[in-house]
Amino acid sequence: MSESFASVDPEIFAKVQEQIEKDSEIKEKIREALRNLDKEVRKINSTLSRIHIVPAEHVLKLTDSVEDGFKQVAVEIGGLVEIVKDYPYYKYNGLWTRDLQNTAFLVLLHGWLKRSYGTAESGNSLLSIDEVGAVLGVPVNLKTEDRFHLTIEEYLHAVISLVDELTRLTTNAVTQRDFLRPLMINRFVKDIHSSFQVLNLKNDSLRRRSDSLKYSVKKVEDVSYDLMLRGLVPDGTEDAKQSEDVKEVPEVILEGKKE
Amino acid sequence: MATAKIQHAAKGASNAAYINNPILAMFNYFRDELDEHHDRRERVIKASRDITALSKKMIFTLQRARNLLAPLPASLDKEYQTRHSQIQALFSSIAPDLQDLNAHRYARQISGGIQEYIEALSFHHYLLTGSLIPLASVRDNVRNLIEITPADYILGIFDLVGEIMRFGITMIATRGDVSKLLRDIRELRMQFEALDTSVGGGGLLGKEVSKKMGVMQTCVEKVETAVCGFIVRGSERPKGWVPELAIERAVGGGRGGNFDEDGET
Repeated sequence: MSESFASVDPEIFAKVQEQIEKDSEIKEKIREALRNLDKEVRKINSTLSRIHIVPAEHVLKLTDSVEDGFKQVAVEIGGLVEIVKDYPYYKYNGLWTRDLQNTAFLVLLHGWLKRSYGTAESGNSLLSIDEVGAVLGVPVNLKTEDRFHLTIEEYLHAVISLVDELTRLTTNAVTQRDFLRPLMINRFVKDIHSSFQVLNLKNDSLRRRSDSLKYSVKKVEDVSYDLMLRGLVPDGTEDAKQSEDVKEVPEVILEGKKE
Repeated sequence: MATAKIQHAAKGASNAAYINNPILAMFNYFRDELDEHHDRRERVIKASRDITALSKKMIFTLQRARNLLAPLPASLDKEYQTRHSQIQALFSSIAPDLQDLNAHRYARQISGGIQEYIEALSFHHYLLTGSLIPLASVRDNVRNLIEITPADYILGIFDLVGEIMRFGITMIATRGDVSKLLRDIRELRMQFEALDTSVGGGGLLGKEVSKKMGVMQTCVEKVETAVCGFIVRGSERPKGWVPELAIERAVGGGRGGNFDEDGET
Protein backbone atom coordinates (compact mmCIF):
# COMPACT_ATOMS: atom_id res chain seq x y z
CA MET A 1 0.00 0.00 0.00
CA SER A 2 2.90 2.34 0.27
CA GLU A 3 3.96 2.76 -3.35
CA SER A 4 3.85 6.44 -4.10
CA PHE A 5 1.84 8.23 -6.74
CA ALA A 6 4.63 7.62 -9.19
CA SER A 7 3.10 8.86 -12.37
CA VAL A 8 2.39 12.44 -11.47
CA ASP A 9 4.33 13.96 -14.27
CA PRO A 10 5.87 17.22 -13.12
CA GLU A 11 6.56 18.02 -16.77
CA ILE A 12 2.86 18.43 -17.43
CA PHE A 13 2.42 20.85 -14.59
CA ALA A 14 5.46 22.76 -15.72
CA LYS A 15 4.00 22.91 -19.20
CA VAL A 16 0.68 24.23 -17.99
CA GLN A 17 2.45 26.77 -15.80
CA GLU A 18 4.46 27.83 -18.80
CA GLN A 19 1.29 28.15 -20.83
CA ILE A 20 -0.37 30.31 -18.20
CA GLU A 21 2.65 32.59 -18.13
CA LYS A 22 3.01 32.73 -21.88
CA ASP A 23 -0.68 33.50 -22.16
CA SER A 24 -0.38 36.59 -20.05
CA GLU A 25 2.81 37.63 -21.79
CA ILE A 26 1.20 37.49 -25.21
CA LYS A 27 -1.86 39.25 -23.92
CA GLU A 28 0.32 42.07 -22.70
CA LYS A 29 1.94 42.34 -26.12
CA ILE A 30 -1.44 42.30 -27.83
CA ARG A 31 -2.70 45.05 -25.57
CA GLU A 32 0.37 47.07 -26.36
CA ALA A 33 -0.25 46.67 -30.10
CA LEU A 34 -3.90 47.56 -29.61
CA ARG A 35 -2.92 50.73 -27.79
CA ASN A 36 -0.89 51.77 -30.81
CA LEU A 37 -3.74 50.93 -33.13
CA ASP A 38 -6.13 52.80 -30.92
CA LYS A 39 -4.04 55.96 -31.18
CA GLU A 40 -4.36 55.98 -34.96
CA VAL A 41 -8.01 55.04 -34.86
CA ARG A 42 -8.73 57.88 -32.47
CA LYS A 43 -7.11 60.41 -34.77
CA ILE A 44 -9.22 59.29 -37.70
CA ASN A 45 -12.29 59.15 -35.54
CA SER A 46 -11.90 62.70 -34.32
CA THR A 47 -11.27 63.99 -37.83
CA LEU A 48 -14.23 62.15 -39.33
CA SER A 49 -16.54 63.18 -36.53
CA ARG A 50 -16.21 66.71 -37.88
CA ILE A 51 -18.59 65.69 -40.66
CA HIS A 52 -21.33 66.54 -38.23
CA ILE A 53 -20.32 70.15 -37.97
CA VAL A 54 -18.93 71.18 -41.35
CA PRO A 55 -20.87 72.06 -44.50
CA ALA A 56 -21.32 69.28 -47.03
CA GLU A 57 -18.74 70.58 -49.47
CA HIS A 58 -16.00 70.24 -46.88
CA VAL A 59 -16.61 66.60 -46.18
CA LEU A 60 -14.45 65.33 -49.00
CA LYS A 61 -11.54 67.35 -47.66
CA LEU A 62 -11.96 65.55 -44.38
CA THR A 63 -12.02 62.15 -46.02
CA ASP A 64 -8.89 63.02 -48.00
CA SER A 65 -7.09 64.10 -44.89
CA VAL A 66 -7.44 60.71 -43.21
CA GLU A 67 -6.17 58.61 -46.12
CA ASP A 68 -2.71 58.48 -44.61
CA GLY A 69 -4.17 57.62 -41.26
CA PHE A 70 -5.69 54.48 -42.72
CA LYS A 71 -2.32 53.49 -44.11
CA GLN A 72 -0.91 53.83 -40.62
CA VAL A 73 -3.80 51.77 -39.27
CA ALA A 74 -2.91 48.98 -41.69
CA VAL A 75 0.68 49.15 -40.45
CA GLU A 76 -0.44 48.86 -36.82
CA ILE A 77 -2.66 45.93 -37.64
CA GLY A 78 0.30 44.35 -39.38
CA GLY A 79 2.18 44.69 -36.09
CA LEU A 80 -0.63 42.93 -34.27
CA VAL A 81 -0.71 40.15 -36.85
CA GLU A 82 3.02 39.69 -36.36
CA ILE A 83 2.52 39.09 -32.63
CA VAL A 84 -0.30 36.58 -32.95
CA LYS A 85 0.51 34.83 -36.18
CA ASP A 86 2.01 31.79 -34.45
CA TYR A 87 -1.05 31.16 -32.32
CA PRO A 88 -4.50 29.87 -33.21
CA TYR A 89 -6.57 32.81 -34.41
CA TYR A 90 -9.51 32.15 -32.15
CA LYS A 91 -7.36 31.79 -29.08
CA TYR A 92 -6.91 35.51 -28.59
CA ASN A 93 -9.30 37.12 -31.02
CA GLY A 94 -11.61 38.17 -28.20
CA LEU A 95 -8.96 40.69 -27.23
CA TRP A 96 -9.02 42.65 -30.44
CA THR A 97 -12.41 41.97 -31.93
CA ARG A 98 -13.80 45.20 -30.47
CA ASP A 99 -10.96 47.28 -31.83
CA LEU A 100 -11.21 45.61 -35.19
CA GLN A 101 -14.95 46.29 -35.35
CA ASN A 102 -14.32 49.89 -34.52
CA THR A 103 -11.61 50.20 -37.14
CA ALA A 104 -13.76 48.50 -39.75
CA PHE A 105 -16.53 50.95 -38.90
CA LEU A 106 -14.26 53.89 -39.69
CA VAL A 107 -13.28 52.28 -42.97
CA LEU A 108 -16.95 51.87 -43.83
CA LEU A 109 -17.77 55.43 -42.83
CA HIS A 110 -14.87 56.76 -44.83
CA GLY A 111 -15.95 54.76 -47.85
CA TRP A 112 -19.55 55.84 -47.48
CA LEU A 113 -18.64 59.51 -47.24
CA LYS A 114 -16.36 59.32 -50.26
CA ARG A 115 -18.99 57.64 -52.39
CA SER A 116 -21.94 59.65 -51.17
CA TYR A 117 -20.38 63.10 -51.22
CA GLY A 118 -18.19 62.42 -54.20
CA THR A 119 -19.09 61.06 -57.58
CA ALA A 120 -22.71 60.37 -58.36
CA GLU A 121 -22.20 56.74 -57.50
CA SER A 122 -25.21 56.69 -55.24
CA GLY A 123 -26.03 53.08 -56.06
CA ASN A 124 -24.03 51.33 -53.41
CA SER A 125 -22.19 53.26 -50.78
CA LEU A 126 -21.42 50.30 -48.57
CA LEU A 127 -17.92 48.94 -48.87
CA SER A 128 -18.03 45.18 -49.12
CA ILE A 129 -16.27 43.00 -46.59
CA ASP A 130 -13.50 42.38 -49.11
CA GLU A 131 -12.99 46.10 -49.63
CA VAL A 132 -12.74 46.66 -45.90
CA GLY A 133 -10.27 43.80 -45.64
CA ALA A 134 -8.20 45.36 -48.39
CA VAL A 135 -7.99 48.70 -46.57
CA LEU A 136 -6.99 47.01 -43.33
CA GLY A 137 -4.57 44.73 -45.13
CA VAL A 138 -6.06 41.51 -43.78
CA PRO A 139 -7.89 38.59 -45.40
CA VAL A 140 -11.59 38.17 -44.68
CA ASN A 141 -13.76 35.27 -43.58
CA LEU A 142 -11.20 32.49 -43.67
CA LYS A 143 -12.78 29.09 -43.34
CA THR A 144 -10.00 26.66 -42.75
CA GLU A 145 -6.74 28.54 -42.81
CA ASP A 146 -5.79 29.49 -39.28
CA ARG A 147 -4.67 33.04 -39.85
CA PHE A 148 -5.58 36.57 -38.80
CA HIS A 149 -8.67 37.81 -40.62
CA LEU A 150 -11.74 39.99 -40.46
CA THR A 151 -14.77 37.89 -39.57
CA ILE A 152 -18.27 38.35 -40.92
CA GLU A 153 -19.54 39.16 -37.46
CA GLU A 154 -16.98 41.90 -37.03
CA TYR A 155 -17.94 43.36 -40.37
CA LEU A 156 -21.64 43.26 -39.51
CA HIS A 157 -21.02 44.99 -36.20
CA ALA A 158 -19.20 47.69 -38.11
CA VAL A 159 -22.15 48.04 -40.49
CA ILE A 160 -24.50 48.62 -37.57
CA SER A 161 -22.13 51.23 -36.15
CA LEU A 162 -22.17 52.89 -39.54
CA VAL A 163 -25.94 53.06 -39.48
CA ASP A 164 -25.85 54.59 -36.01
CA GLU A 165 -23.39 57.20 -37.17
CA LEU A 166 -25.39 58.04 -40.30
CA THR A 167 -28.53 58.36 -38.23
CA ARG A 168 -26.79 61.04 -36.28
CA LEU A 169 -25.55 62.61 -39.50
CA THR A 170 -29.11 62.86 -40.76
CA THR A 171 -30.07 65.42 -38.16
CA ASN A 172 -26.79 67.27 -38.40
CA ALA A 173 -26.93 67.42 -42.18
CA VAL A 174 -30.26 69.17 -41.89
CA THR A 175 -28.67 71.69 -39.57
CA GLN A 176 -26.08 72.28 -42.29
CA ARG A 177 -28.90 72.84 -44.79
CA ASP A 178 -27.82 69.69 -46.58
CA PHE A 179 -31.22 68.24 -47.44
CA LEU A 180 -29.87 65.71 -49.86
CA ARG A 181 -28.08 63.60 -47.27
CA PRO A 182 -31.15 62.61 -45.26
CA LEU A 183 -32.68 61.15 -48.41
CA MET A 184 -29.56 59.21 -49.28
CA ILE A 185 -29.24 57.97 -45.74
CA ASN A 186 -32.91 57.09 -45.67
CA ARG A 187 -32.53 54.80 -48.61
CA PHE A 188 -29.24 53.39 -47.44
CA VAL A 189 -30.45 52.58 -43.94
CA LYS A 190 -33.52 50.89 -45.35
CA ASP A 191 -31.36 48.72 -47.58
CA ILE A 192 -29.21 47.74 -44.64
CA HIS A 193 -32.23 47.04 -42.51
CA SER A 194 -33.85 44.79 -45.09
CA SER A 195 -30.52 43.07 -45.71
CA PHE A 196 -30.21 42.22 -42.04
CA GLN A 197 -33.62 40.61 -42.27
CA VAL A 198 -32.21 37.78 -44.37
CA LEU A 199 -29.76 36.75 -41.67
CA ASN A 200 -30.68 34.04 -39.19
CA LEU A 201 -29.09 35.59 -36.17
CA LYS A 202 -28.72 33.78 -32.90
CA ASN A 203 -29.50 35.51 -29.68
CA ASP A 204 -26.15 37.21 -29.40
CA SER A 205 -24.76 40.71 -29.35
CA LEU A 206 -25.13 41.03 -33.10
CA ARG A 207 -28.78 40.17 -32.85
CA ARG A 208 -29.40 42.69 -30.12
CA ARG A 209 -27.61 45.42 -32.00
CA SER A 210 -29.35 44.63 -35.26
CA ASP A 211 -32.66 44.95 -33.46
CA SER A 212 -31.84 48.60 -33.00
CA LEU A 213 -31.71 49.15 -36.76
CA LYS A 214 -35.45 49.68 -36.97
CA TYR A 215 -35.22 52.66 -34.65
CA SER A 216 -32.59 54.16 -36.91
CA VAL A 217 -34.83 53.57 -39.90
CA LYS A 218 -37.69 55.31 -38.15
CA LYS A 219 -35.61 58.25 -37.04
CA VAL A 220 -34.23 58.85 -40.52
CA GLU A 221 -37.67 58.40 -42.05
CA ASP A 222 -39.12 61.00 -39.72
CA VAL A 223 -36.53 63.54 -40.79
CA SER A 224 -37.04 62.79 -44.48
CA TYR A 225 -40.78 63.05 -44.02
CA ASP A 226 -40.54 66.41 -42.34
CA LEU A 227 -38.29 67.71 -45.09
CA MET A 228 -40.64 66.54 -47.80
CA LEU A 229 -43.69 67.83 -46.06
CA ARG A 230 -42.20 71.27 -46.07
CA GLY A 231 -41.08 71.01 -49.66
CA LEU A 232 -37.44 71.31 -48.70
CA VAL A 233 -36.43 68.52 -51.06
CA PRO A 234 -37.07 68.53 -54.79
CA ASP A 235 -39.61 65.98 -55.97
CA GLY A 236 -39.56 63.73 -52.97
CA THR A 237 -38.58 60.12 -52.97
CA GLU A 238 -37.75 59.12 -56.51
CA ASP A 239 -34.40 57.44 -56.38
CA ALA A 240 -33.60 57.85 -60.04
CA LYS A 241 -34.17 61.57 -59.93
CA GLN A 242 -32.38 61.80 -56.69
CA SER A 243 -29.06 60.80 -58.12
CA GLU A 244 -29.19 63.39 -60.88
CA ASP A 245 -31.07 66.37 -59.53
CA VAL A 246 -29.90 66.10 -56.09
CA LYS A 247 -26.28 66.81 -56.87
CA GLU A 248 -27.03 70.43 -57.61
CA VAL A 249 -29.46 71.03 -54.83
CA PRO A 250 -27.19 71.41 -51.84
CA GLU A 251 -24.97 73.90 -53.60
CA VAL A 252 -27.93 76.09 -54.38
CA ILE A 253 -29.14 75.89 -50.87
CA LEU A 254 -25.74 76.46 -49.43
CA GLU A 255 -25.14 79.47 -51.59
CA GLY A 256 -28.49 80.73 -50.58
CA LYS A 257 -27.44 80.44 -47.02
CA LYS A 258 -24.22 82.33 -47.49
CA GLU A 259 -25.88 85.26 -49.08
CA MET B 1 -36.85 26.71 -38.37
CA ALA B 2 -40.12 28.50 -38.77
CA THR B 3 -38.55 31.91 -38.80
CA ALA B 4 -35.98 30.75 -41.30
CA LYS B 5 -38.72 29.62 -43.62
CA ILE B 6 -40.60 32.87 -43.29
CA GLN B 7 -37.50 34.81 -44.08
CA HIS B 8 -36.74 32.70 -47.09
CA ALA B 9 -40.28 33.18 -48.31
CA ALA B 10 -40.09 36.90 -47.73
CA LYS B 11 -36.92 37.00 -49.74
CA GLY B 12 -38.52 35.24 -52.66
CA ALA B 13 -41.51 37.52 -52.59
CA SER B 14 -39.53 40.71 -52.77
CA ASN B 15 -37.47 40.05 -55.83
CA ALA B 16 -37.89 43.62 -56.97
CA ALA B 17 -36.39 44.88 -53.75
CA TYR B 18 -33.60 42.42 -54.26
CA ILE B 19 -32.52 44.04 -57.48
CA ASN B 20 -32.80 47.52 -56.02
CA ASN B 21 -30.78 46.55 -53.01
CA PRO B 22 -27.19 45.86 -54.03
CA ILE B 23 -26.20 44.95 -50.51
CA LEU B 24 -28.56 42.02 -50.36
CA ALA B 25 -26.41 39.66 -52.40
CA MET B 26 -23.57 40.00 -49.93
CA PHE B 27 -25.91 39.46 -47.02
CA ASN B 28 -27.29 36.31 -48.57
CA TYR B 29 -23.76 35.01 -48.68
CA PHE B 30 -23.31 36.03 -45.05
CA ARG B 31 -26.43 34.17 -44.10
CA ASP B 32 -25.13 30.94 -45.53
CA GLU B 33 -21.79 31.39 -43.86
CA LEU B 34 -23.28 32.28 -40.50
CA ASP B 35 -25.76 29.42 -40.68
CA GLU B 36 -22.92 27.04 -41.29
CA HIS B 37 -21.08 28.44 -38.31
CA HIS B 38 -24.11 28.26 -36.02
CA ASP B 39 -24.91 24.71 -37.09
CA ARG B 40 -21.38 23.62 -36.47
CA ARG B 41 -21.38 25.31 -33.11
CA GLU B 42 -24.64 23.60 -32.16
CA ARG B 43 -23.24 20.22 -33.15
CA VAL B 44 -20.18 20.79 -31.01
CA ILE B 45 -22.25 21.91 -28.04
CA LYS B 46 -24.52 18.92 -28.36
CA ALA B 47 -21.62 16.48 -28.64
CA SER B 48 -19.96 18.10 -25.66
CA ARG B 49 -23.13 17.72 -23.60
CA ASP B 50 -23.55 14.11 -24.62
CA ILE B 51 -19.94 13.36 -23.84
CA THR B 52 -20.35 15.00 -20.44
CA ALA B 53 -23.47 12.97 -19.67
CA LEU B 54 -21.87 9.70 -20.72
CA SER B 55 -18.72 10.47 -18.77
CA LYS B 56 -20.78 11.13 -15.68
CA LYS B 57 -22.44 7.76 -16.10
CA MET B 58 -19.02 6.15 -16.46
CA ILE B 59 -17.99 7.78 -13.22
CA PHE B 60 -21.12 6.55 -11.42
CA THR B 61 -20.33 3.07 -12.62
CA LEU B 62 -16.79 3.36 -11.33
CA GLN B 63 -17.95 4.68 -7.97
CA ARG B 64 -19.81 1.42 -7.50
CA ALA B 65 -16.53 -0.47 -7.49
CA ARG B 66 -15.34 -1.42 -4.03
CA ASN B 67 -11.71 -2.23 -4.50
CA LEU B 68 -8.75 -0.14 -5.39
CA LEU B 69 -6.02 -1.71 -7.51
CA ALA B 70 -8.27 -4.49 -8.71
CA PRO B 71 -9.93 -5.13 -12.05
CA LEU B 72 -13.53 -3.96 -12.26
CA PRO B 73 -16.23 -6.57 -11.71
CA ALA B 74 -17.42 -7.88 -15.07
CA SER B 75 -20.79 -6.15 -15.01
CA LEU B 76 -19.29 -2.76 -14.17
CA ASP B 77 -16.58 -3.22 -16.73
CA LYS B 78 -19.15 -3.94 -19.40
CA GLU B 79 -21.11 -0.80 -18.55
CA TYR B 80 -17.95 1.23 -18.56
CA GLN B 81 -16.79 -0.08 -21.91
CA THR B 82 -20.16 0.49 -23.56
CA ARG B 83 -20.21 4.14 -22.53
CA HIS B 84 -16.62 4.50 -23.49
CA SER B 85 -17.15 3.34 -27.03
CA GLN B 86 -20.19 5.64 -27.30
CA ILE B 87 -18.00 8.55 -26.32
CA GLN B 88 -15.34 7.56 -28.78
CA ALA B 89 -17.98 7.47 -31.49
CA LEU B 90 -19.07 10.99 -30.49
CA PHE B 91 -15.52 12.23 -30.67
CA SER B 92 -15.03 10.85 -34.13
CA SER B 93 -18.34 12.29 -35.29
CA ILE B 94 -17.42 15.76 -34.11
CA ALA B 95 -13.77 15.66 -35.14
CA PRO B 96 -14.32 17.13 -38.63
CA ASP B 97 -15.92 20.19 -37.03
CA LEU B 98 -12.89 20.78 -34.88
CA GLN B 99 -10.09 20.92 -37.40
CA ASP B 100 -7.70 23.71 -38.37
CA LEU B 101 -9.14 27.12 -37.71
CA ASN B 102 -12.13 25.65 -35.94
CA ALA B 103 -10.14 23.79 -33.32
CA HIS B 104 -9.95 26.92 -31.24
CA ARG B 105 -13.09 28.55 -32.50
CA TYR B 106 -15.20 26.04 -30.61
CA ALA B 107 -12.68 25.22 -27.89
CA ARG B 108 -14.90 26.75 -25.25
CA GLN B 109 -17.85 24.65 -26.39
CA ILE B 110 -16.09 21.28 -26.41
CA SER B 111 -13.81 21.83 -23.45
CA GLY B 112 -16.45 20.85 -20.86
CA GLY B 113 -16.96 17.48 -22.50
CA ILE B 114 -13.25 16.85 -22.81
CA GLN B 115 -12.64 17.67 -19.17
CA GLU B 116 -15.41 15.41 -17.95
CA TYR B 117 -14.13 12.64 -20.18
CA ILE B 118 -10.60 12.99 -18.82
CA GLU B 119 -12.04 12.87 -15.33
CA ALA B 120 -13.74 9.56 -16.07
CA LEU B 121 -10.77 8.14 -17.90
CA SER B 122 -8.28 9.10 -15.20
CA PHE B 123 -10.54 7.78 -12.45
CA HIS B 124 -10.77 4.44 -14.22
CA HIS B 125 -7.04 4.36 -14.65
CA TYR B 126 -6.53 5.23 -11.01
CA LEU B 127 -8.84 2.54 -9.70
CA LEU B 128 -7.12 -0.10 -11.76
CA THR B 129 -3.50 0.91 -11.37
CA GLY B 130 -3.33 3.36 -8.51
CA SER B 131 -1.51 5.83 -10.68
CA LEU B 132 -2.24 8.92 -12.69
CA ILE B 133 -3.03 8.46 -16.34
CA PRO B 134 -0.40 10.06 -18.58
CA LEU B 135 -1.51 12.67 -21.12
CA ALA B 136 -0.25 10.48 -23.97
CA SER B 137 -2.62 7.73 -22.95
CA VAL B 138 -5.57 10.16 -22.88
CA ARG B 139 -4.66 11.18 -26.39
CA ASP B 140 -4.58 7.54 -27.45
CA ASN B 141 -8.05 7.11 -26.07
CA VAL B 142 -9.49 9.76 -28.34
CA ARG B 143 -7.36 8.26 -31.09
CA ASN B 144 -5.75 11.64 -31.66
CA LEU B 145 -8.85 12.81 -33.50
CA ILE B 146 -9.18 15.78 -31.24
CA GLU B 147 -6.49 17.93 -29.79
CA ILE B 148 -6.08 17.43 -26.06
CA THR B 149 -3.93 20.18 -24.63
CA PRO B 150 -1.98 19.94 -21.38
CA ALA B 151 -4.45 22.51 -20.07
CA ASP B 152 -7.46 20.27 -20.81
CA TYR B 153 -5.62 17.45 -19.13
CA ILE B 154 -4.82 19.37 -15.98
CA LEU B 155 -8.37 20.70 -15.71
CA GLY B 156 -9.70 17.15 -15.99
CA ILE B 157 -7.29 15.92 -13.33
CA PHE B 158 -8.51 18.64 -10.98
CA ASP B 159 -11.89 16.95 -11.01
CA LEU B 160 -10.30 13.56 -10.47
CA VAL B 161 -9.51 14.66 -6.93
CA GLY B 162 -13.24 15.01 -6.28
CA GLU B 163 -13.90 11.50 -7.52
CA ILE B 164 -11.10 10.04 -5.44
CA MET B 165 -12.59 11.89 -2.50
CA ARG B 166 -16.00 10.32 -2.99
CA PHE B 167 -14.48 6.93 -3.44
CA GLY B 168 -12.37 7.46 -0.33
CA ILE B 169 -15.29 8.53 1.84
CA THR B 170 -17.20 5.42 0.81
CA MET B 171 -14.15 3.33 1.56
CA ILE B 172 -13.80 4.77 5.03
CA ALA B 173 -17.42 4.01 5.69
CA THR B 174 -17.16 0.44 4.50
CA ARG B 175 -13.69 -0.87 5.04
CA GLY B 176 -11.18 1.58 6.20
CA ASP B 177 -7.72 2.03 4.86
CA VAL B 178 -7.54 5.09 2.69
CA SER B 179 -3.95 6.01 3.42
CA LYS B 180 -2.90 5.54 -0.19
CA LEU B 181 -5.83 7.61 -1.41
CA LEU B 182 -5.09 10.38 0.98
CA ARG B 183 -1.42 10.38 0.13
CA ASP B 184 -2.16 10.52 -3.56
CA ILE B 185 -4.59 13.38 -3.48
CA ARG B 186 -2.32 15.31 -1.19
CA GLU B 187 0.46 14.88 -3.67
CA LEU B 188 -1.81 16.09 -6.43
CA ARG B 189 -2.84 19.00 -4.29
CA MET B 190 0.76 20.01 -3.80
CA GLN B 191 1.35 19.88 -7.54
CA PHE B 192 -1.75 21.90 -8.23
CA GLU B 193 -0.94 24.47 -5.63
CA ALA B 194 2.43 25.04 -7.21
CA LEU B 195 0.63 26.46 -10.23
CA ASP B 196 0.74 30.21 -10.15
CA THR B 197 -2.38 31.64 -11.74
CA SER B 198 -1.91 35.21 -10.66
CA VAL B 199 0.50 36.19 -13.44
CA GLY B 200 -0.69 39.23 -15.31
CA GLY B 201 -4.27 38.91 -14.20
CA GLY B 202 -4.40 35.39 -15.54
CA GLY B 203 -5.95 34.37 -18.82
CA LEU B 204 -8.95 32.18 -19.36
CA LEU B 205 -6.90 29.17 -18.30
CA GLY B 206 -5.63 30.96 -15.22
CA LYS B 207 -9.17 31.78 -14.16
CA GLU B 208 -10.41 28.26 -14.69
CA VAL B 209 -7.49 26.84 -12.75
CA SER B 210 -8.05 29.12 -9.79
CA LYS B 211 -11.75 28.28 -9.77
CA LYS B 212 -11.04 24.57 -9.65
CA MET B 213 -8.29 25.04 -7.11
CA GLY B 214 -10.71 25.90 -4.33
CA VAL B 215 -12.96 22.94 -5.04
CA MET B 216 -9.98 20.62 -5.14
CA GLN B 217 -8.68 21.90 -1.79
CA THR B 218 -12.07 21.37 -0.19
CA CYS B 219 -12.10 17.79 -1.48
CA VAL B 220 -8.74 17.00 0.04
CA GLU B 221 -9.83 18.53 3.31
CA LYS B 222 -13.00 16.49 3.34
CA VAL B 223 -11.01 13.28 3.15
CA GLU B 224 -8.65 14.54 5.83
CA THR B 225 -11.56 15.39 8.09
CA ALA B 226 -13.20 12.05 7.43
CA VAL B 227 -10.02 10.21 8.31
CA CYS B 228 -9.64 12.33 11.39
CA GLY B 229 -13.20 11.64 12.47
CA PHE B 230 -12.71 7.98 11.90
CA ILE B 231 -9.62 7.89 14.04
CA VAL B 232 -11.15 9.92 16.81
CA ARG B 233 -14.21 7.76 17.01
CA GLY B 234 -12.17 4.68 16.26
CA SER B 235 -15.15 2.74 15.09
CA GLU B 236 -15.11 -0.49 13.19
CA ARG B 237 -11.59 -0.22 12.02
CA PRO B 238 -10.07 -3.25 10.38
CA LYS B 239 -7.55 -5.06 12.43
CA GLY B 240 -4.53 -4.49 10.29
CA TRP B 241 -4.87 -0.79 10.75
CA VAL B 242 -4.95 -0.54 14.50
CA PRO B 243 -1.23 -0.37 15.23
CA GLU B 244 -0.69 2.46 12.78
CA LEU B 245 -3.54 4.24 14.36
CA ALA B 246 -2.10 3.88 17.83
CA ILE B 247 1.12 5.55 16.73
CA GLU B 248 -0.82 8.25 15.07
CA ARG B 249 -2.82 9.13 18.12
CA ALA B 250 0.28 9.36 20.19
CA VAL B 251 2.07 11.62 17.73
CA GLY B 252 -0.54 13.56 15.92
CA GLY B 253 -3.02 14.01 18.71
CA GLY B 254 -5.81 12.98 16.38
CA ARG B 255 -5.32 15.84 13.97
CA GLY B 256 -6.17 14.50 10.57
CA GLY B 257 -3.88 17.08 9.02
CA ASN B 258 -0.59 15.34 9.60
CA PHE B 259 -1.31 11.84 10.65
CA ASP B 260 -0.38 10.41 7.33
CA GLU B 261 3.04 11.79 6.69
CA ASP B 262 4.13 10.98 10.20
CA GLY B 263 2.95 7.45 9.93
CA GLU B 264 4.48 6.65 6.60
CA THR B 265 7.78 8.37 6.32
